Amino acid sequence: MSVTDTPPLQSPGPGEPGTDDRTTPPRVSRSGAHGGAKGLLERHALLLLLVAVAAFFSLNPASGDIFFTQQNASVLLGNQATVALLALAVILPLVCGYFDFSLGAIAASSSVLTAGLMSFNDLPLGLAMVVGIGVGVLIGGLNGLLVTRFGLNSFVTTLGMATLLGGLVQWYTGGQTILNGLDPRLAQFGSKTLLGIPQVVYVVAVIAVLLWYLLAQTPFGRGLYAIGSNPRSAALVGIRVQRSVWTTFVLAGALSGLVGVLALARSGSATADPGTGLLFPALAAAFLGATAVRPGFFNVVGTIIGVLFVSVAVSGLTLSGASTWASPVFNGASLLVAVALSHYLGRSRGMRTT
Amino acid sequence: MTPRTPPTAPPGSDVVLRVSALTKRFGATLALDEADLALRHGTVHALVGGNGCGKSTTIKVLAGVHRGDGGRIEVAGQAWDVDSYDPRAGRAAGLRFVHQDLGLFPELSIAENFAFDAGYPTGPGGRVLWRGLHRRVAELLTAYEIDADPRTPVGALRPAQRTLVAICRALQDQEGDEQLILVLDEPTATLPQHESDVLLEAVRRRADNGQTVMMVSHRMPEVLSVCDDFTVFRDGRTVAALVGERPTEHDLVRHMTGAALARTIDANVVAGGLDGDDSAPADEQAATTRATPATDADGEDVVLQVRDLHGGPLRGVDLELRRGEIVGVAGLVGSGRSSLLRTVFGEHRPASGSVTVRDPAGRLHGNGDVRTRMDAGVALVPEDRAGEAAFADLTVRDNISVTVRRRYWRPWGMSVGRERADANALVTRHGVRAASADVPFTSLSGGNQQKVVLARWLQRTPSLLLLDEPTQGVDVMSRADIYRTVQEAAANGCAVLVASSDLLELCALCDRVLVLQDGRVAAHVAGAQLTPDHLTALTQSTAGAPAADPAHQGASR
Repeated sequence: MSVTDTPPLQSPGPGEPGTDDRTTPPRVSRSGAHGGAKGLLERHALLLLLVAVAAFFSLNPASGDIFFTQQNASVLLGNQATVALLALAVILPLVCGYFDFSLGAIAASSSVLTAGLMSFNDLPLGLAMVVGIGVGVLIGGLNGLLVTRFGLNSFVTTLGMATLLGGLVQWYTGGQTILNGLDPRLAQFGSKTLLGIPQVVYVVAVIAVLLWYLLAQTPFGRGLYAIGSNPRSAALVGIRVQRSVWTTFVLAGALSGLVGVLALARSGSATADPGTGLLFPALAAAFLGATAVRPGFFNVVGTIIGVLFVSVAVSGLTLSGASTWASPVFNGASLLVAVALSHYLGRSRGMRTT
Repeated sequence: MTPRTPPTAPPGSDVVLRVSALTKRFGATLALDEADLALRHGTVHALVGGNGCGKSTTIKVLAGVHRGDGGRIEVAGQAWDVDSYDPRAGRAAGLRFVHQDLGLFPELSIAENFAFDAGYPTGPGGRVLWRGLHRRVAELLTAYEIDADPRTPVGALRPAQRTLVAICRALQDQEGDEQLILVLDEPTATLPQHESDVLLEAVRRRADNGQTVMMVSHRMPEVLSVCDDFTVFRDGRTVAALVGERPTEHDLVRHMTGAALARTIDANVVAGGLDGDDSAPADEQAATTRATPATDADGEDVVLQVRDLHGGPLRGVDLELRRGEIVGVAGLVGSGRSSLLRTVFGEHRPASGSVTVRDPAGRLHGNGDVRTRMDAGVALVPEDRAGEAAFADLTVRDNISVTVRRRYWRPWGMSVGRERADANALVTRHGVRAASADVPFTSLSGGNQQKVVLARWLQRTPSLLLLDEPTQGVDVMSRADIYRTVQEAAANGCAVLVASSDLLELCALCDRVLVLQDGRVAAHVAGAQLTPDHLTALTQSTAGAPAADPAHQGASR
């Protein structure tokens, strides 16, 4: 007697509509590379490229004289520190599968607010910095709340938030650059070097290590990757999905606030800028980084390599006499190639294994 | 086995659909064995039978999804051999299907849903003639007595209205005296009672206006209330064709399960009722009584106690599970099978009632969320593996360790070495066919994926394991492995609650089985009575009348 029917034409769950309004960002392929020379190559391709590009510009007569100098390295690292830190902030929500477009604007707001509080209100440096970073935390928390508790689309929510903050920055500064009345200690910190490397870089390095630890070496970080893989499954293995996602938005907001303060320290002034100039290179680095080290997953080490790769190449190009447009063109092209390659490799892997 | 009741041929003239000697084979199994079916014009015809009787296959052959291996199909005087019958033939002959998943786009308007089926009326330059479309759809809605504006999004309609819209859409090109035949596949399976009443009433009115309808349903009272004719399938054969009769539910169930079983069913139904009936044979009575465990004074080994649980489709469930017991949950779609498991797991908050779980250390835990339930030793293997259990792009190791992440944490980082060793050991122990624990989860077959999901939970040595359709989409070999694993866990003291639509599985795996009906426990089955046929009869019949039952179920325990 057979009771195993050919299953009903449709077998939906008993009246439980799976409402999952989460954004599924167009992310790169997710099957992790494992074993084999091919996997090894894929994991380290970006690093190898970075070394190759650095070697090329060192040997290239057009750029070699200046490129491979401690001074150039110092300038390069110092200039990229803020982008690197913002890229690290960006990957936090991305690991869970959420975009946060407002992080650039949060950095800009924090920068302008920190400067403004010192300049307009004569607040002490420490307090101004705390308020700047605190605003980042608050906005991150608000974003997180809108996305998790109210289930709004993260793409749209944070885009709206970014536009709103950009407008507020314009209003607060009146479109003027804030130059005067800043505590000189901040600019000093931003311009000083330690062992030939700008101090700002050490801040970024320490935070990168902490974030690497958080994402790769704690149960919480593992949980974030699980949420990014499948939030429904994550909830059913006891991961507090909403709380975790909210936390990533808050952390990302705090880091972006810090980015604003560091940017202020580096430049010594706060411009009325909506922050997109920082955000796009950071997003590009994050996606580039997801093709390396742990291919298919946003990760800290890959992101740092991504930032370095783009900045080394752009610096080399500039020193070789390329025009200013060369930098964004290279930036964009390398991202397209990396994502396409990663998608292709992932798919060929998928075909082989399933 | 009953002798085959020769289908009484209805008067030839008004038969609009006749299927004769339809045979369909899937590999070694004979899904349809010379089945016959005849629909009279202007009637609602019920096609009923237990799981695996061939109802779905018949519909799929009629829709042209499957090609039959033998037999003839006649629609409105036109005849086909099954080899020459395809989806287009069925459509041309006037068969229209509305499946359980209605195939509507909930965000789009009613009119657009119609237009996707029939095409948008367009004017010059390919412009959509919205006014014309809306007018036509409004006329159709009026004709079908659906009180809705064509611009309303389908998602905003009541469930019964949605089904009616799907019906109306399927029949939208029915004009004048052209007669289409409407085939409804389990139209009420996911509808609440009052919604399905509305729907059935509307279907009845269509039939009174001359529409021919064939309906597949598991809900006996519904088909009895709305249908004129009945065809009963069993094991791919037509065992009864009741034309213009008024059968009772009992008659239908007897045909579905075979006369030999009728007595047992009676016995159980009575035993499931308040007081024992003398007509029930003594041994069967005993078997049924054994099914409802007596209350122990100590209750030390009661792992799960559910009292009067309400919420979602659940309407007062009582149950009790002891250490080492494997208990099945049977019931139709919408009976609350999955909801029961999910509520016990803490995913759904119960509206009222209590769920008490005893953790391995013997402490009791009341209502809680998923996390606290897990800490209390509860594990859930959900039904939808891809959607709710898998981390598809993570490795097998990640998929296994996800429930015990904290175990591997040291202040200096995750101990990946230990994690990998444990995962590999579990892969070997559960017979997962994978090169190593570091391959992606998606590279495994369905059966091996399910073993990984089980391993993920069993490494926590749960005191209560909840399994929802544990072997859905799992190959035969893995199925045996999974059964063995579950039995092993039970032998080690884990209580197991299995919800399944595979009645054979429940009979093979479980010590006793609860039959859920309309969100209540309608019957307990154990011992010699635990057979697929018996369960079929119980899940389909409404004899464990909900009105009288809950009180009794509480009392008998």
